[in-house]
Amino acid sequence: MSFLQPYILAALPLIGLPILIHLINQWRYQTVEWGAMMYLLAAHRMSRGFARIRQWLILAARVLAVAGLVFAFSRPLSSGWLGLVAGSRSDTTIILLDRSPSMAQQDASQGASKLQRGRQQLEQALGLLRSSKWVLIDSTERRPLESETLGNLLALPQAEASSASAHLPTMLQAAYDYIKTNQTGRTDIWICSDLRQSDWDADHGNWAAMRDAFRDLPQQVRFHLLAYDETPTANVAVRVTQAIVHETGKGRELHLSAVLTRDGAADSTLSVPLELEIDGARSVHTVEIAGSRLELKDHRFPLDRKETRGWGRVAIPADSNLADNQFYFVYDLPPPRRAILVTEVPDAVRPLELAASISSDPEIKCQIEVLSVEQAVSIVWEDVALLMWHAALPEGEVRQSIEDFVKRDGHVMFFPPRQPTDSEAMGLRWTAWESLETPVSIERWQFDADLLARTQSGAALPLGDLQIRRYCGFIGDTTSLATLRNGKTLFARVPTDRGAVYVCATGTSEDDSNMATNAVVLYVAVQRALAAGAGRLGATRQLDAGASSVAGPAWQRLSQEGEGLSTQYHSHAGVYQADERLLAVNRPDQEDQAKILADTQVDNLFQGLDMVRIRDRLTGGSNLVQEIWRMFLMAMLVLLLVEAALCLPRWRQATGGAP
Amino acid sequence: MNRETGSRSFLDAMALSRLAAVPLVSRRPMLGAVSGRHPSPHRGSSVEFAEYRKYVPGDDPRRVDWRAFGRTERYYVKEFEADTNLRCCLVIDTSGSMGFGSAGATKYACARQIAGSLAYLAVQQGDAVGLACVADGVVTNIPPRRNPAHLTSLFNALENTKPAGPTQLIPVLHELAESLRQRAMIVVLSDFFVEADELRSCFEHLRFRKHDISVFQLLDPQELDFRFQRPTRFVDMEGGPYVFADPQEIADRYHRALRDHLAAVQLIMRETAVDYHRVRTDESYERVLMQFLIGRHHGRGQR
Repeated sequence: MSFLQPYILAALPLIGLPILIHLINQWRYQTVEWGAMMYLLAAHRMSRGFARIRQWLILAARVLAVAGLVFAFSRPLSSGWLGLVAGSRSDTTIILLDRSPSMAQQDASQGASKLQRGRQQLEQALGLLRSSKWVLIDSTERRPLESETLGNLLALPQAEASSASAHLPTMLQAAYDYIKTNQTGRTDIWICSDLRQSDWDADHGNWAAMRDAFRDLPQQVRFHLLAYDETPTANVAVRVTQAIVHETGKGRELHLSAVLTRDGAADSTLSVPLELEIDGARSVHTVEIAGSRLELKDHRFPLDRKETRGWGRVAIPADSNLADNQFYFVYDLPPPRRAILVTEVPDAVRPLELAASISSDPEIKCQIEVLSVEQAVSIVWEDVALLMWHAALPEGEVRQSIEDFVKRDGHVMFFPPRQPTDSEAMGLRWTAWESLETPVSIERWQFDADLLARTQSGAALPLGDLQIRRYCGFIGDTTSLATLRNGKTLFARVPTDRGAVYVCATGTSEDDSNMATNAVVLYVAVQRALAAGAGRLGATRQLDAGASSVAGPAWQRLSQEGEGLSTQYHSHAGVYQADERLLAVNRPDQEDQAKILADTQVDNLFQGLDMVRIRDRLTGGSNLVQEIWRMFLMAMLVLLLVEAALCLPRWRQATGGAP
Repeated sequence: MNRETGSRSFLDAMALSRLAAVPLVSRRPMLGAVSGRHPSPHRGSSVEFAEYRKYVPGDDPRRVDWRAFGRTERYYVKEFEADTNLRCCLVIDTSGSMGFGSAGATKYACARQIAGSLAYLAVQQGDAVGLACVADGVVTNIPPRRNPAHLTSLFNALENTKPAGPTQLIPVLHELAESLRQRAMIVVLSDFFVEADELRSCFEHLRFRKHDISVFQLLDPQELDFRFQRPTRFVDMEGGPYVFADPQEIADRYHRALRDHLAAVQLIMRETAVDYHRVRTDESYERVLMQFLIGRHHGRGQR
């Protein structure tokens, strides 16, 4: 229970007043000479029964009535959950708002999405609780926005829905940085989220450090988790997985692949009209989903012979989540995929050369150029999709060029040199080769994303077939993609703001591993890195919302639908034109996964921190917090009536009691 | 009358003159020494015909009904009812509890008014009146006399007696039942704060001795209503232990005890054929006595 005027609770000892009056009344007795003592003695001998209970009830009613009055004056708040902020006003209230597409889930009867309801509840509840300063950290920009009034803050465009995923560890980190930088007083952090596993990233390494950091803060920080963890009962999401233009004898064709995923009851067949729009021309194709997923592969649509590029949209009818009912795509003739392989031993990198030069799609041309370390200075970076560095780590001007290449979304793969040196690049340093007596295989790898992810058909890559004979250690902050049985990391990714930097801790020669003979893994990894690197080179790009840098003024919206400020185009689904390039921005892949964080997982994430979970529902009509002093006043009146009724003399008494 | 009542605070001459209009009669035949207004079990010389009886040698020939001989040629003697006076014994409870009074007058004062009036009315119609004041035994005992001068000593006794001490009404009534040799009208005035079961035995005893018993149970309005507001220490007027109670809390059970006791007393009175009257001390004693006299007048005639 919380109160808006808790200091009035100091008057609670007044509930002892009826008891005190009772005792004084007992003490002020009168003495009467009495004749009918036999009746009094008989009455004393009788069982008191209800008479005694009645006395206690009268006293209890009086005590409770006084308590009710004190509570009513203290302006209690009702919330359906206890442990809300105590009445004292907090110095700073930080709101972490999950704006991800999954928060657009709505209830058909209410018509409001989770995000809208969350905002409404926060405005209503926090408006009552009050704070000196309000700070909003939204899930897209993840930057603190300050305001003196809560209403203004929640009316900002940064509080509206976006197509970008949330990342709670980063948002909490931003909140922590704000508290640390501004030296706030007592701080309340309100998190409004639907607890999607992908948004919370419970396995992220920052959680433990952040818990410790918040615990060590000198000021009191309390967390309030406003959770909307309802999963959609009937929702279909559509996503385009591939849109490629092919040259045929009759002309150009668009090969479109899409996936429809279905939440809720998947045991019946669902007929979905799929609306397809290509450069303004619309057509509707009805498809039937029998299970939870339907994959449409390479549906062909003829294109105008003159057209080489364009954009389109796939949409399905409205359901419980409007944010995943359409998907934008752009298409173009695929650009050639040019890779650079820098090596100190050109003869030993033949497998890499082959993996990068043989395209998986005959329509796409792949080129590879093998250079020595000394020639690396002369690389023309503009059309390079992938750099494979199989030598001692670069230094000086070359290293700077590579870092700039990565900052321009370039992709780099490092392989170990024959003789590791002390040189360092991208935060990496090779240590020494280690020969293994018996070949070691890979124990575990990251199969859900990145280079070693499953294939589109869901089959895992045959990483178990790889045998590693030599291994070169490395030092650096990396994320492991594959780990050997002896615990060493074989594949890793260096965290970067843009682009991608991969590390492979073994070579392709027979002495190092069998990656050349069992070349599926090597081929897939290189081709995936090459495709990702080439994606930035074409005249069209598919972008995940929020993944790109802040949209500049050069971005122009082409699609009719869409919302948000021009500076936030990168986080709103739509098709945009930047210079000569077409950009299709859509929600990230993980937004279609409806997995919710379990309660125990949430508890573990906030272990040791002062956290209150508030579970609200879309269908719920009540507010989070509301004043209930009227209820206490009514209770007091009822108690006084009960007391009066109990005090009334019984009718027999009134008539004298004699037969 | 003026000489006797003029100085008595408990007698009202006007009320007595109104009450004298209705005679005090016995409900049962009395054995009086002289002629009076009350039925006797013996035959006498009143004008009220009783029965014919066969003549037996030794009967006075003057009482032979010759008209009956003319019709039947048998000798019959005509008998008439006898009227006699009665002995009225007034028994007044003068224990401490009779001194309680919340409405200005105590229960004893009320008893004194009733007893004094009855004594006056009885003597006025030629009946003998006695008085027994009972507290922790018989405090005052005046044997029945029928001369008017006897009233003076009786009134003096009533005036001088003060209620005090515990009550021994039950043994005294038993003793009275044994000590009165002839049938008498016994009028008991008390609050009857005694066990109801014990009352039954003493009234049965009196009835067995063929006495005509009348009872006035005197109760104060406060005793009946029990209207107290504050916690009270009740001090026993008969010297018993005091009781501390919150009237609000105990009133319910007090009324239940009072109700049970009064119901039990009423039942006993009915079963033992006692002429029972419950009197609130704030009632008019004249009205109570008038009801008493009229009730008895309707019930007379049994022999």
